[in-house]
Amino acid sequence: MTFVDFLNLLIAALMLAGIYAVMSVGMTVIYGVMKIVNLAHAGFMMMGAYFAYELYQRFQLDPILAALLAFPVFFLAGIAVHWLLVRWLPHSDRPTLQSLLLMFGIWLVLQNVGYLIWGNTDRSILTPRTLSVIHLGEITISSLKLVVFVAAVGCMAVLEIALSRTWFGRSVRALIQNRYAGRIVGVDDEKTARLTFGMGIAFAGVAGALLATLYSFDPDFGRPFLLRAFVIIVLGGLESVSGVALGALVLALVETFSIFLVPADYQPAISFGLLVVALVVLPGGIASLWARRRRLA
Amino acid sequence: MTTAVYAPSRPEARVRMLLPWLLLVVLALLPTAGLTPNLIRLFFITFVWVTTSLGWNLLGGFTGQVSFGFAVFYGLGAYTAALMIDRGVNPYLSFVAAGLIPAFASVLIGLPTFRLRGPYFAIATIGVSEATRVIMNNLSITGGASGFRIMEHRPFRQVEHYYTALGLAALAVAVSLLIVHSKFGMGLRAIKQDEEAAADLGVNPYAYKLAIHAVAAALTGMAGGVFARYAAFINPPGVFAFQTSIYILLMPVIGGIGTVWGAVLGGVVFGIVEEQLVANFPQLHLLLYGSLLILIILAEPDGLAGLLGKVFRRLRKPKRTYGNTDSGSGKADEVLRRASGG
Repeated sequence: MTFVDFLNLLIAALMLAGIYAVMSVGMTVIYGVMKIVNLAHAGFMMMGAYFAYELYQRFQLDPILAALLAFPVFFLAGIAVHWLLVRWLPHSDRPTLQSLLLMFGIWLVLQNVGYLIWGNTDRSILTPRTLSVIHLGEITISSLKLVVFVAAVGCMAVLEIALSRTWFGRSVRALIQNRYAGRIVGVDDEKTARLTFGMGIAFAGVAGALLATLYSFDPDFGRPFLLRAFVIIVLGGLESVSGVALGALVLALVETFSIFLVPADYQPAISFGLLVVALVVLPGGIASLWARRRRLA
Repeated sequence: MTTAVYAPSRPEARVRMLLPWLLLVVLALLPTAGLTPNLIRLFFITFVWVTTSLGWNLLGGFTGQVSFGFAVFYGLGAYTAALMIDRGVNPYLSFVAAGLIPAFASVLIGLPTFRLRGPYFAIATIGVSEATRVIMNNLSITGGASGFRIMEHRPFRQVEHYYTALGLAALAVAVSLLIVHSKFGMGLRAIKQDEEAAADLGVNPYAYKLAIHAVAAALTGMAGGVFARYAAFINPPGVFAFQTSIYILLMPVIGGIGTVWGAVLGGVVFGIVEEQLVANFPQLHLLLYGSLLILIILAEPDGLAGLLGKVFRRLRKPKRTYGNTDSGSGKADEVLRRASGG
């Protein structure tokens, strides 16, 4: 491997990490506030992909714009799902099997809706940008991946600001730290949970729309990414946004550079291997290496 | 004559003891009544599903460890039996191996994943099953994605398959009942309720989980083996499918999680629904199962068995006016628990 190859792979990994972070962070905030492992995240990511696809097919809308548009749409969808189904779950400060199975059921329904509307053929979004590249000397960067990366970093920055500067963000952080103490000092936990759920789903939709520009998709689209998101969350520690970014970077680096060691056919098994290693060696995530506990923001 | 006075429930209990045996005898005699091959097939499939349902229930229901990865054991069992039968090994010997190899695999899987609690374990099992399918799809011994055809050098007798599957389902019921009523089973339920408390009382959660995982995997694997011999063709995308894991998990949840007969009921309902209904509406089956799951989780967490139990109790005691105090006290407990900062 020459140095240029190495740089190219490094850049590719960095780009991948951006989109991985966006797809994981929605699961993280929902887990943090509500202690629900959102398996339906995969279903909403799939819906996000088809959202971008439909907008592009019908109105020739740029998929990146579609991703931005996905945020409010999926935010409302998330609030609706929370209002209809999720809020009836018994509250718990630990993840319950009930919540897991409920989210799983929602995922199955979403998947079936996907099959009913779009069938099981692979779709993809091809824009003029898909194949164009930027040359920087010997280094080549796919301009699409660059745009997606910028969009992803933008999303993370907006989230970070929302969590650190707004009253909503403060409520979220309070509930993540201690739900009951948060209620005592006047945080409306129902409302915060509802908004958080909406936000988590919104991020799923955005991530799905962004991923749709890079990969082909079918109604089973989200599953491999759900597993990756989980690996990232475990790597990053379950409740912190900066941890998610770090976990995304580690997974992206491992996946990108493992091409030298593992045949491409076995690639999907890598994230699982990493998961096992992470769980056995670092149950508290990477952050536990240098800090006892780093919570959100 | 005095016994009848102070033990009015005895005959009822005796009937309850006898019912499973009666059911077994009826099912054993059924093929002699001249069932159509189609019906025998339906029964066969249902027995296979009931076995996997009971297997999953041992781990997911009694021990509270939800696994999305039982297709791994089903597939391993199917392939073990398929490869052995294809090489001329006695099928029943092959079924034993189809139980042993998944049990061994379950220990390998359990060693890292049982370090995780609850949902973390559950998601790790999604990873296990994804990774297993990827690997199996790329191995030449499984026939890869194009599948594996089993050549058995014996005449095909459907009734033999029927009795094999019935025997296996009966074995699964017996094993489940034995475990439930044993000290081991009590330890499992303790783990489900509170792992720390169970550990304080001298139950080793890690070892217990590994043990029950192995038993569950063995039952599921044998079911896979029995199915593979009947189907005579298997492929990794089929038997190792995530779908298979979903089915295996759905049955006990539908029937009544954590009860032996609930799991059986779930398997029966699923077998019939899957074979009769879904065959006609294949494009709706995920929607059907998903909505059913949502409905059961939100409305009746004890499943069909819980629902039936409620209906029976209501029919038996129609004039119960003092109301349902359970939910009230439960709420009070919850308030107290929260007030104390729990």
